[in-house]
Amino acid sequence: MIGSLSFIFANPAILAALIALPVIWWLLRMTPPRPAAEIFPPLRILASVMKREETPSKSPWWLTLLRMLMAAAVIFAIADPVFNPRSNTLATSGPLALLIDNSWATAPDWERRVETASALIDDAESRDVAISVVFTGERQHDATPGSASAARNRLAAARPEPLPADRASAIAALQTAFEDAPPATLAFITDGIASGDGKTMERLAAMGASNLKVIEADGSEAVALTATSNESGGMAVTASRLKTDDGRSLPIVAFDTRGRAIASGTIDFAPGAATARGTIEAPFELRNDFARIGIEGAATAGAQHLLDDGFRRRRVALLSGEARDLSQPLLSPLYYINRALAPYADLIEPRQNDLAVAIPELLEQRPSVLIMADIGRLPEETYPLLAKWIENGGTLIRFAGPRLAAAPADDPLVPVTLRQGERALGGALSWSEPQPLADYPGNSPFAGMARPTDILVKRQVLAEPTADLAERTWANLADGTPLVTTAVRGTGRIVLFHVSAEATWSNLPISGHFVEMLRRSVQLSRGGGIASDGKAVKAQTLPPYRLLNADGVLIAETGNVRPLEIVPGKPPVATADNPPGLYGSEDGFTALNLLPRDAELKRIDMTAAGPHTSERLTGVESWSLKPALMTIALLLLLADALIVLFMGGVFSRARIARAASAIIVVLAGAFVLAPPHAFADDARPDDQRILERLDTTHLAYVVTGEEDVDRLSESGLRGLTDFLTYRTTLEPGAPVGLDITKDELSLYPIIYWPISATAPMPSPQAVSRVDAYMRAGGTVLFDTRDQFSSLGSSSNGTSQNTERLQAILGNLDIPPLEPVPADHVLTKAFYLLTNFPGRYTGSPLWIEAQLDNGEETSNRPARPGDGVTPIMITGNDLAGAWAVDSNGVALLPTVPPDEMQREYAFRSGVNIMMYMLTGNYKADQVHVPALLERLGQ
Amino acid sequence: MASIGHIVARTPSGEVLSRAQQRAMLVPDCLVEARRIANTVITGWHGRRKRGIGENFWQFRPYSNGESLSRIDWRRSAKDDHTYVRDREWEAAHTIWLWADLSPSMMYKSTLGAVSKESRALVLMLALAEILARSGERIGCPGVMEPVSARNAAERLATAIMHSPLSEGLPDTGMVRGASDLVLIGDFLDPADTIMERLGPLARRGLRGHVVEIADPAEEVFPYAGRTEFTDPETGEKLTAGRAEILREDYQRAYRARRESLGTSLRHLGWTFIPHRTDRAASEALVAVHMYLSGMPGRVTHGGVS
Repeated sequence: MIGSLSFIFANPAILAALIALPVIWWLLRMTPPRPAAEIFPPLRILASVMKREETPSKSPWWLTLLRMLMAAAVIFAIADPVFNPRSNTLATSGPLALLIDNSWATAPDWERRVETASALIDDAESRDVAISVVFTGERQHDATPGSASAARNRLAAARPEPLPADRASAIAALQTAFEDAPPATLAFITDGIASGDGKTMERLAAMGASNLKVIEADGSEAVALTATSNESGGMAVTASRLKTDDGRSLPIVAFDTRGRAIASGTIDFAPGAATARGTIEAPFELRNDFARIGIEGAATAGAQHLLDDGFRRRRVALLSGEARDLSQPLLSPLYYINRALAPYADLIEPRQNDLAVAIPELLEQRPSVLIMADIGRLPEETYPLLAKWIENGGTLIRFAGPRLAAAPADDPLVPVTLRQGERALGGALSWSEPQPLADYPGNSPFAGMARPTDILVKRQVLAEPTADLAERTWANLADGTPLVTTAVRGTGRIVLFHVSAEATWSNLPISGHFVEMLRRSVQLSRGGGIASDGKAVKAQTLPPYRLLNADGVLIAETGNVRPLEIVPGKPPVATADNPPGLYGSEDGFTALNLLPRDAELKRIDMTAAGPHTSERLTGVESWSLKPALMTIALLLLLADALIVLFMGGVFSRARIARAASAIIVVLAGAFVLAPPHAFADDARPDDQRILERLDTTHLAYVVTGEEDVDRLSESGLRGLTDFLTYRTTLEPGAPVGLDITKDELSLYPIIYWPISATAPMPSPQAVSRVDAYMRAGGTVLFDTRDQFSSLGSSSNGTSQNTERLQAILGNLDIPPLEPVPADHVLTKAFYLLTNFPGRYTGSPLWIEAQLDNGEETSNRPARPGDGVTPIMITGNDLAGAWAVDSNGVALLPTVPPDEMQREYAFRSGVNIMMYMLTGNYKADQVHVPALLERLGQ
Repeated sequence: MASIGHIVARTPSGEVLSRAQQRAMLVPDCLVEARRIANTVITGWHGRRKRGIGENFWQFRPYSNGESLSRIDWRRSAKDDHTYVRDREWEAAHTIWLWADLSPSMMYKSTLGAVSKESRALVLMLALAEILARSGERIGCPGVMEPVSARNAAERLATAIMHSPLSEGLPDTGMVRGASDLVLIGDFLDPADTIMERLGPLARRGLRGHVVEIADPAEEVFPYAGRTEFTDPETGEKLTAGRAEILREDYQRAYRARRESLGTSLRHLGWTFIPHRTDRAASEALVAVHMYLSGMPGRVTHGGVS
């Protein structure tokens, strides 16, 4: 029947109406109505006025033809011409075996399948043969041949199931039933999708039926979503389809838990492609609300993809102890974390450097994970906040670094007790070698990853050995020292990587394992997921919560569905016992989808079937011309209406011009009446002052509150300013006294802070602001002014000023310090200096210790270094030496009274300022000869 | 719907005559003031305000050599040393040609008009004949009646028309000799150029013309609406308007433009133009023609639109 075009009219009697066409023709010719006859003598004047050819008394022939066609189309449409009506009979005698697929892909055309099957049953009944009906989606099969009415009842009771077809057991049932005598006719109404071991047709052929019919649809409905993955830009969705010959674009929609459509995208199949990927682009917050993704308009279980908590992207907050130096991103620890996590998580970073502000701000955004790279000490008030957040389920991931190594051992936010200082592996003074990693322990979430062989750790912080250290270790070095340790706090967790997050301590951050380790660590956070607990090894059972039916709708009714057993490492599969749906409870569930991840729909293999006839479902090929004819008639009607309007002069130029001018007038009026643009006034008080300070460089000092100290600071900085103006190209403005509790600090390259034990202690907020200033690249010069007053002033040999300094620094996150080495840039920035005297001499100038690279310092005139020390400490009372009155006469004598010492004090000030303003530029200057030589100059 | 305009039967001349006499009684006697010298010098009853042969004194003027001695007014000359000649005013009767267009287009009367255009044209023509005859002018009708000077000129004109119907179109002016006045009554629906082509030579021959345009109100206001088929009574040509009402404005503009251009052209010739509508009193047009004939070109109501 396929290929032969038969054509009948469903209602041929209506065709008799065609004889009415001449009448319609005559009626159409009658129009327009006869005009009123008038005698009119000034006809010539009238004729000169009537420029246009007047409507003829008869409509033009083509208009009549158009209307005739319209009438004919309506008559033919009512007569209902149909192509390919079904005329199908069962041609043999003997029992009929019906094998019917009621899998998920049959849901859209199930009615037609039932129709086809009942037509076959009708045929069988007329032949008076027994009928056996088997459905592939059912659990128990009854293949005993029976009467037609029994078969009809079973057919009426069958429903499509949200499962793949299980044909092997159905065929086995048929084989048992027809063991003695093979069926005369075996009809297989299939969905066309291969399943099981792919030997279906072979088995059917083996049954020995004399007539094997394979009846199927064209398979265009068999489209399934097979995988989703959460990517940085959106949710990527993979789909597979059965019919591959044409290009097709499918709209996909994401629904939230209440079934509301909240985002959409498309999947475009190229012609011939069985799988395709599409993306639903949506912001991260919206994507977290996705509960289900479905193909719009496809009402099958396969066209739905259920999501659970495991799909959600984590929000990760990043914190670093170091100023972000954007010109050297490779030295920033956050750079590697950023690159590793950006595809899997949404990263947030603080907008402020002040940790006391930044940490609450970050926690307010409810991150799942907080990553702190090389932070040794946090502001005091943030500890309880962080601890509470971790108790509530937050995951804190820390990386070691120089600051952490220098931090005191009682840090509550590390998982294990750390030994102070770091351990260097390899180097000139060490016997040990850089260590590779050992195999990951079984209890680690990293278990299953291959052991990395190319990672070498050169430096790490060490954990104090405890009894449970091994349990809390996720990764070890080859010598057994832990590399990643963890501790559970409440529902949250702390993870510590014992190496730094940039490549100075190890090459872990530049390896692919770093990405995977971080990803797994982040994936562990937020314990909503079922399998998220890394130690869960035993199977878990989950009750059914919501199930998909065959039409792809989530229903609450669970029937006789069994609880889902979750075995780690073995993804669950949809079966008759566990149909696809959500398992668990409202609070946490896991999604079971119809098809396993990245499954592909394949066409059933017909080659093994042997001789058989292929048929289409009833009604597949029947094709009614009625809608097309009706559409044609409607289009003709529209065309006729347009023509009549046109002939009536509706679209005359004058009218259009009038309408256009009216529109223009209205638009112009709207434009004129539109309110003028308004601009918000975003000026702030103090802007003027900040701009002034930015125009020229100013030296700044901290106002301690003691009048004589402040006055001396002011006149000292004024003296240095004069000296700088006189000797160098730097011409600073007048010195500025700063109130560190409220003034903007970031405008000044260096802040001079004379320590006075009798002045009031700065508040924690003020110290936190100074901390932020230092973190952002500023430098504070602490001056205890006690080089010669320390003797005997305190029991332990420190002066009160020094004690005060220690108290202040106790709240600051400061790096390890060292006296200025002889080859430091400070000694060469402008003048060549060996020491940095003030009023007193002898006290060293303490600066941030530079990472000692050991071997290569020998032949270099200056040590390379990146960045500028954030802190300088001296006891030489620099301001006292610089202080001059308005006449330029020194206020205070130097100790000992040596004017050269005052000169050197000024030179120290100049060097410090030059170092502040040029950074390591001077250090690089010494390489100029070498660089020129290398360039061949 | 009954049609607005229709063709009427030709008006019997006798009835026209009686109506014309009634009209004529309404108009006071007039003396047509002649402004030109006719070749046919026939003494009439009113002076020409010029020196010439006549009975009334006009002026004394000094005698010039060569003149006939018999013309010297000796009584006047005796008063002083000069010799004077007595001049007399020239008195002559004027010839006035009357003509009415009786083409089929004039046989038209609409529901808005009181009478047909033809009827109104005849009434006007005979009324003028009556008035002018009474004031002693010579009345003629080109192609129909030689000029006569008689009290019963109107009756004779009517009789003449009865016996030889007026030709259609513009008149045959072969009979018109010398300078005289010509009164043309018709609807003048031909294009202005065609009309002026005919009238121009007449004006160049020294004829002084007065044109009365008779119009039916339906022709002026165009009261038609809807689908209408118009027929020209002269040519039988047909024209169908789908929606006649949308033509009204354009038609009225063209109609007035034609009238304006005709009037302007006639005035350039020195002729007068009097539009008249059949729904107005005939005496209005009569008075207007009369005033023009008596040389009083003031602003008068014509019984027309303009």
